[in-house]
Order: sequence, then structure tokens, then C-alpha cells
Amino acid sequence: MTRNAHNEARKLIALGEGFSDVQQAWLRAHLDECEACRHYGEAANRVVHALRSLPLAADSRLVRATQMRVRFHASRLREARERMWRVGMVCLGVGLSATLTVPLLWRLFAWMGEWAGVSTMVWQSGFIFFFIAPALVVGVLLLARGTYLTNHGERSRQWR
Amino acid sequence: MNAAAYYFVDTMESEASAIARGLRRRDPDLLDRLIEQYQHRLLRYLVYLAGNRELAEDLFQETWIRVLERGHQYDGKHEFSTWLYAVARNLTIDCLRKKSPLSLDEMIDGLMQDELHAPLEPADTRPMAWEVVQQHEQAERISAALVGIPVEYRETLVLRFQEGLALDEIAAVTGAPLGTVKSRLCRGLNLLMSRLKGA
Repeated sequence: MTRNAHNEARKLIALGEGFSDVQQAWLRAHLDECEACRHYGEAANRVVHALRSLPLAADSRLVRATQMRVRFHASRLREARERMWRVGMVCLGVGLSATLTVPLLWRLFAWMGEWAGVSTMVWQSGFIFFFIAPALVVGVLLLARGTYLTNHGERSRQWR
Repeated sequence: MNAAAYYFVDTMESEASAIARGLRRRDPDLLDRLIEQYQHRLLRYLVYLAGNRELAEDLFQETWIRVLERGHQYDGKHEFSTWLYAVARNLTIDCLRKKSPLSLDEMIDGLMQDELHAPLEPADTRPMAWEVVQQHEQAERISAALVGIPVEYRETLVLRFQEGLALDEIAAVTGAPLGTVKSRLCRGLNLLMSRLKGA
């Protein structure tokens, strides 16, 4: 018997599955003749059996803690998704309302410009400013609030 | 395939599809059930992968958080356990990489070195009958030998013989080709047997 035959037999013993009927028959015939490989197979079976019966169990406290943490995280994700949905709906509403009102406002500004006798550039600039001013004001207020909260949070941490 | 086999495969696929649907909905009852169902298997895998029970318990929790967040990625076409082990494995690698920004090979070598100095604790320390003491000693010997072999071999042995995964499932979990998995299984078993013989 060649060294390759022994290596092949031990490889098949270790794999235990995924080989053909021909290979199985070959292995059986080889083990019938080769005592060393037979001992190897018996030793491998003992090790595999011991591996399968290693005692290592999860603690019930770990399981409960994990379940609680996962539930809490799931509720936070759900709230975040609902919040995003509401924001999305509001954006959609604002977009639709802007689409409807922009042409009317444009005509209103045009009429006011004509009535006041100002140039086209002036009333158009006024329209643009009127349109973005609310968003600018809200943006500045939110930025100021965020800065205040950040600074306030840092000062609280310093005092601890 | 005969009718019984068809029925078995069909039932398995239905269960996997139901789990996939539940994970997409982030069903908390389903997650509770899965955590209980896979508690021992997942922890065992993480303990032998990370080589440290405390770290494994942290990774256990983080794995389920990740399952919750990325449940939509599970398509239900394969066994849930295969996907779960892959998530746990990737999380372990990410965690260890954050602790020390080494290459994966260096990390694996480093893990082996750490584990030689920090052997796993046995699960049960109550006073026992003689037969149980013997089993306990054998378990300690096997654990110590297992922790002493390189992590890629240890992982393959654990997935194959403790978790009962098929070779192609192990390949899916580890991202290694099937040939590599077979090679690791053979060499891992040989290494383990030689360590036990020498012990």
C-alpha cells in the first residue's frame, strides 16, 4: 500500500461525508487490510464523540438580558422608522403645496411689482427671498438650539 | 427524492421562509424564540471562535442585535443557522479588528497566542460523581487541546462536529472554498488528535 493510499483513507475518515459509493467501497476495503488506518479511524471517532459531548451551555440570565436588549432596540428602530415616515409625509405635503402655490405667488409678486412700479429684478429678488426666508430662519434657530444643547451638555458633564 | 424527503425539504423551506418574513417585520416574539432556540449553539461557537467566554457573551448579544438590524438580508432560501453563524463570525472579526488593527492572519495568530494563556473555564464546577468527574476532566482536556490549535481549524471542527453543519454550509459561513474547508477539517482533526495524544 502506498503512502498516498493511507493519506487518502485518513482524509475520507476525517470528512465523513460527501464522497461517492466507489470511494466508500474503496475505504471499506482499505480499512479491512490496513490496521494503522483502522486505529486512526477509531481514534478519530473517539475524538469526534468527545467533541460532540463538550459541555458548554448558555446562562439563562444571558438569554433573558439578550431578549430584553433586542426588544428594546426593536422598539427604538420602530419609533425611528415611524418618525422618518412622518417626516417623509410632511416633506411630500410641503412639496405638493409649493407646487400649487408657487405659480400663484409668482403672479401675485409680479402684480405687486407692477403696482409698485419696481423693476422685474427687484420683485423677482423679493419673491426668492420670501420663499427661502422661512427655511433660513428655521435653520438658524435649529442650529442655535443644537449649539446650546451641545454646550449645555458639555458643561453638565464637566460639573460631574 | 421520495415523498418523505420532499415533505422534509418543504417543511424546512417553509420554516426558513417564515423566519425570513418575521425578521423583515422585526417580530420581537420570533426573535425571542430564535434566541432561545440557538442560545447554546451560538454561544458555543462564539466561545471557541473568540477563545474567551466573557467576550463570547458580549458577542452573543451583539450578534442578535445585528440579526435584528440586518434581518432583511436573510432571504430564507438557506438554513437560518448558516446565516446566523456567518453574522456571528463577521461580528467577531470586526470586534477583534477594532481592538487591534491587524491583518486577519495576524489576528488569528494573535488569538492563538492569547488563548494559550487564557484557557477556557469549564461550564460546571459543582461537586460531581466519579464518572462525571472523569467526563469533566476529559472535557477540560479536549477544550484545552481545541483552544491550542489555530482558529481557522478550530472553527471548522466546531462547526462540523459540534454544530453539525454540512461542509458546504461551513463554506458559506466562513466564506472559504469547499476544498479549503475539507483541508482545514482534515488538518484540524489531525492536529487535535496529536495534541490529545501528547497531553
